[in-house]
Amino acid sequence: MRAADVRPKWMEPPTRIGLAAKVLALAAIAVLVLYPFVAVLSTSLSSEAEISRHGGLVLFPTSPTLDAYRVIFAGGVVTSALVRSILITAVGTACSLAATVGMAYGLSRRGVVGGRFFLLVALFTMLFSPGVIPNFLVVKQLGLLDTYAALVLPTLISAFNLVVLRSFFMNLPTELYEAARIDGAGDFRVLLRIVLPLSKSVLAVVALFYAVGYWNAFFNAMLYVNDDKWPLAMVLRQFVLQGQSLNDTVSSSETSVPAQAIQMAVVVVSLVPILVVYPFLQRYFTKGVLTGAVKG
Amino acid sequence: MPENASGLSRRTVLRAGTGVAVAGTIGAGVLSTVAGCGTDSGAGKVSSAADVTLPKTIPYDGPTPDVPGTPEGVPAGFYAYPKPVKAFASPPLSNERITAITNVIGAPPPDRSANPAWQAVEKRLGASVDITSVSSADYETKLNTVIAGGKLPDIMLYDGGGMSDLPAFLAAKCADLTPLLRGDKVKDFPHLAAIPQLVWQTCTQAGKLYLLPIPRNLVGGSGFYNSTLFGQAGVKSTQDIRNADDFLGVLKELTRPKQNRWALGSTNFGTVPFHHIFGSPLNWRLDGGKLVRSYETPEYQAALEFLVKVHKAGCFVPGSEAWTKQQMMDAFHTGKVSMVYDGLPAFAGPTGYYAALPATHKGFQARPFLPFGHDGGKPVTWFDNKAFGWVMLAKADEKRLRTVLKACDFFAAPFGTEEYLLLNYGVEGTDYHLDPHGNPVLTAKGNQDTLVPWKYLSAPTQVVYDPTSKEYVDILHDAYAKLIPTAVADPTETLYSPTNGRKGVALGQFMSDTITSVIAGRKPFSAFTDAVKQWRSKGGDTIRGEYQEALSKQKKH
Repeated sequence: MRAADVRPKWMEPPTRIGLAAKVLALAAIAVLVLYPFVAVLSTSLSSEAEISRHGGLVLFPTSPTLDAYRVIFAGGVVTSALVRSILITAVGTACSLAATVGMAYGLSRRGVVGGRFFLLVALFTMLFSPGVIPNFLVVKQLGLLDTYAALVLPTLISAFNLVVLRSFFMNLPTELYEAARIDGAGDFRVLLRIVLPLSKSVLAVVALFYAVGYWNAFFNAMLYVNDDKWPLAMVLRQFVLQGQSLNDTVSSSETSVPAQAIQMAVVVVSLVPILVVYPFLQRYFTKGVLTGAVKG
Repeated sequence: MPENASGLSRRTVLRAGTGVAVAGTIGAGVLSTVAGCGTDSGAGKVSSAADVTLPKTIPYDGPTPDVPGTPEGVPAGFYAYPKPVKAFASPPLSNERITAITNVIGAPPPDRSANPAWQAVEKRLGASVDITSVSSADYETKLNTVIAGGKLPDIMLYDGGGMSDLPAFLAAKCADLTPLLRGDKVKDFPHLAAIPQLVWQTCTQAGKLYLLPIPRNLVGGSGFYNSTLFGQAGVKSTQDIRNADDFLGVLKELTRPKQNRWALGSTNFGTVPFHHIFGSPLNWRLDGGKLVRSYETPEYQAALEFLVKVHKAGCFVPGSEAWTKQQMMDAFHTGKVSMVYDGLPAFAGPTGYYAALPATHKGFQARPFLPFGHDGGKPVTWFDNKAFGWVMLAKADEKRLRTVLKACDFFAAPFGTEEYLLLNYGVEGTDYHLDPHGNPVLTAKGNQDTLVPWKYLSAPTQVVYDPTSKEYVDILHDAYAKLIPTAVADPTETLYSPTNGRKGVALGQFMSDTITSVIAGRKPFSAFTDAVKQWRSKGGDTIRGEYQEALSKQKKH
């Protein structure tokens, strides 16, 4: 028998014990991952008394109820915040993507005057943040207080995403740029017709980063806008946080702790949209990040 | 500011905990910058309530309560809402606009356009009220950024945290209300005038009246106990317990780990009731003109020694000192622990101890813990809940200040008035309907509409009221009636010490950590005495000196 005909060990069909061990290990991991989800969902469907009896987390609610969700969705505050959040996320992601692509493309070309300087300036923001008050003062002096723009403009470009995109653009074959130039294309045309169509995966991942960021952002909303413009994350935070500052035992603890079912329902409500979108974008996610990260 | 037994108040805990990231960097920074702008900042100086003439208390001539209050401050009790009377014949303001920043409990309320209660309040007040509100956990950050922005709203809630140099900020940016409210002048604002002087005492800083209180019922109490389980252990009322040894016997009797049951379990060991039993002072005690910190008193040390003994006897749920409030409530409601320390206001409402314990575990009853003397003598309680917080008014001319004060007077409309009903229950028919006894019952819409935080812009003194349970009113009123006469105040309550402003939080945390470790048995008792020495050298003695100086100034006047 020739050496090439001998199958290596790992290509042999697995033994029964090996198979069982794998199944067990994977099942254990799956349970570990799923347990918090199931517990959160089940608790959100339980009554307060039942949650108390189970010490805070219920796995199998005996008499499921949607009361917690009714409380959250009553009054229309959450529904309108949901609409606002979707709009902020859509518009914000589009603006961020456009600005980041423009800047990354500019910085990826050699010979751009001051390119290195601006790249360093952008990278500087990754290491040092200006702090809450200076940010607030800038937003105020730009006249953006209590406007939706205040939720988008201060976080328009993320340095990390910029670096990811710039690296990707730099790794596209130079010949493509040169050919386009010879054909008489300007920078805009090169970007739109050549670079962007070749960068779909990385654009998808950067868009996802931005979208998740906008969806979850609450701090800027808390600082810059009034509650009639709050996105979903901030509104839901209110449900979870009520009475939180009083969570030490104190003489004047007057706010009741929020019902645990409501807290869990809030977690479910804020999870669902990202959970729905994520599986479709997940393949781009790893691919895009690796592209940017490995090829420097 | 009320502090708990370990030297950390709710506000300081807040500052040290959730608020630390921002309050630490923003609070101190911004406020000192702002303070620097003032002409008469008073920053870094000791100060006291000194010679402020407090507003004269003119009791509100309201409906006759079912259980009367007392001049000492025991609140009145009502079994049903009295026939509402008008507090204002016509709107006190006309076409004004008031701005405010405050915290909001729970979800944000529906916007003004979809909120008939909000519209009705504004109509009845004669002014539009624009409120910026965030949850109390975010409040310090928001307030500090607004302050940094320079344009202050008319009414600002001060919840006790995040102001590293309060007197300086008040002097630089807030209105001195002394000329408008001192003595008889408060008559112009009859509902503010109904607030007792005991509460107004907490409103002075740097010798001036700067704050309006959001009054509470003076004492925070000594926690709650499961009267059913205590009854099974032979205790009908906790005041019948004769001394500390008997109490230890009861706690041991209540502890049955095999049945998953312990006598005690509270966040940070819930030490306050034990200090009440042993007679520890609230933060400081004035002993022959000299200030003594609670840690230095024999009573405090005796209470701590007793707590160590109780822990050794296994009466605390293992690890319960690290519980959150929610975990503590769950443990109490399921009967896992028989006694917890929480403030008396937590007795109220559908999720409060009174209603939630029997709802979770049929047959169990919760009662406020009334302390007894450790040696058969008298226990003490503390005046640790005179106010929920305070509001500061932005500097303005007298006319504007009067306008804002009128709005505050409106928000302080007392129980029994139509305005109180409107502010707390919304519009009749839409937000609530009256039951056969005349009690307002909120509708689903009312639950949402009444989330507007009017009650944190100014408030009247509280009464004990629960339309669903006469028993609740009797129990809580009885608790206040027994606790308030035994209450002691913190002699430094109205004084300001700059060193305490700078180092108080860190020192309090250091003491609190040591005390928790000592009770848990992780450190010997000598660690506590060493910690007290360190506390003195690290700033405690300086704080004492500053308070002492402020006190002597107060006496001269």
